[in-house]
Amino acid sequence: MGKPRFVRLAMLLTTVVMLAGCASVGERSSAAEDAARLFLQAVADGDGPAACGALAPETEARIDAPCAESILDEALPAPSATADARVYGQRALVKFDADTVFLAVFPDGWRVVAAGCTPRGERPYDCAVQGG
Amino acid sequence: MRTALRDNALGLVFGLLFLIVLVAQAFAGHADFNQQQVAAGMEPIGLGRYLTSASFAADVAENWQSEYLQFFLYIFLTVWLVQKGSPESKKPGEQGLESDREQKVGSFATDDSPSWARAGGLRRTLLSNSLGLVMGLLFVASWLTQSIAGVAAYNEEQLRDLQEPVTWARYLTEPDFWNRTLQNWQSELLAVASMVILSIYLRQRGSPESKPVGSPHDATGVEG
Repeated sequence: MGKPRFVRLAMLLTTVVMLAGCASVGERSSAAEDAARLFLQAVADGDGPAACGALAPETEARIDAPCAESILDEALPAPSATADARVYGQRALVKFDADTVFLAVFPDGWRVVAAGCTPRGERPYDCAVQGG
Repeated sequence: MRTALRDNALGLVFGLLFLIVLVAQAFAGHADFNQQQVAAGMEPIGLGRYLTSASFAADVAENWQSEYLQFFLYIFLTVWLVQKGSPESKKPGEQGLESDREQKVGSFATDDSPSWARAGGLRRTLLSNSLGLVMGLLFVASWLTQSIAGVAAYNEEQLRDLQEPVTWARYLTEPDFWNRTLQNWQSELLAVASMVILSIYLRQRGSPESKPVGSPHDATGVEG
């Protein structure tokens, strides 16, 4: 005996919602990684304006003016080929081989909140570049 | 129609109040979330995004789980424990599952009894414990939801503070999870204890949750 129509419809809807949720998380992680990579690559390429354009407003405000020059003085490594990106709500963490980058969502997409971060156990990361 | 409304007024009113308050919570939670966003130098988020956030889900689920735990415990413990003088309790000496005759099951089922009360085996066992079991399952499901939404909300705060996110298993050992859980449990247990004990000495005329106004304080299991 086949399942009633509403049961099959409910199963289909559940599957669609679950797949949409997975796709959404995957897309957001990918977008966060892209934003972090763009920032670190801009610094590595010496493209100060592009690097500063990838920063969150409060983070950019904390960098000595002019940002486009000061950001290049920070010892930020170029992004590694692979990275581990994790997204929770409005925040993301992207770990490259030699750097960890924190990001947040803004209306135009992910922006870098902190970079050049090294772990300190239970205490917050120590970051070369960070907002308030 | 009017008769149907009147006959189901209690369930309907509580269902409606629940929806109104849930909507109010959504708006208040959204405003609170955005205050924290702005304080952290970020942009406010829309109501739709907030309603699908882990923060909202955790706030809702942590209260649901404690309510269902309260009813689960109350339903099962009142089978075996009594409180002399309380209308919420059975009379002393009546502790336990009671006889089939008293419970109208098996050959003592009446014409209008649910069919599973007449049946034997698993069906009768399930019906006999269905209220407590469903409350228990809803408690477990809500608590699990709280833990899953809670770890995502907690990790969002961890990242805001430039700290390492934690796994779900690690979150179950975090003070945040147990603080959210226990603050709800204690309030529910206080509410039940208050109801059981205050209903010995206090009355509410016309309420089935109270003894009749003139009933003596030591009258147990008498509902008005």
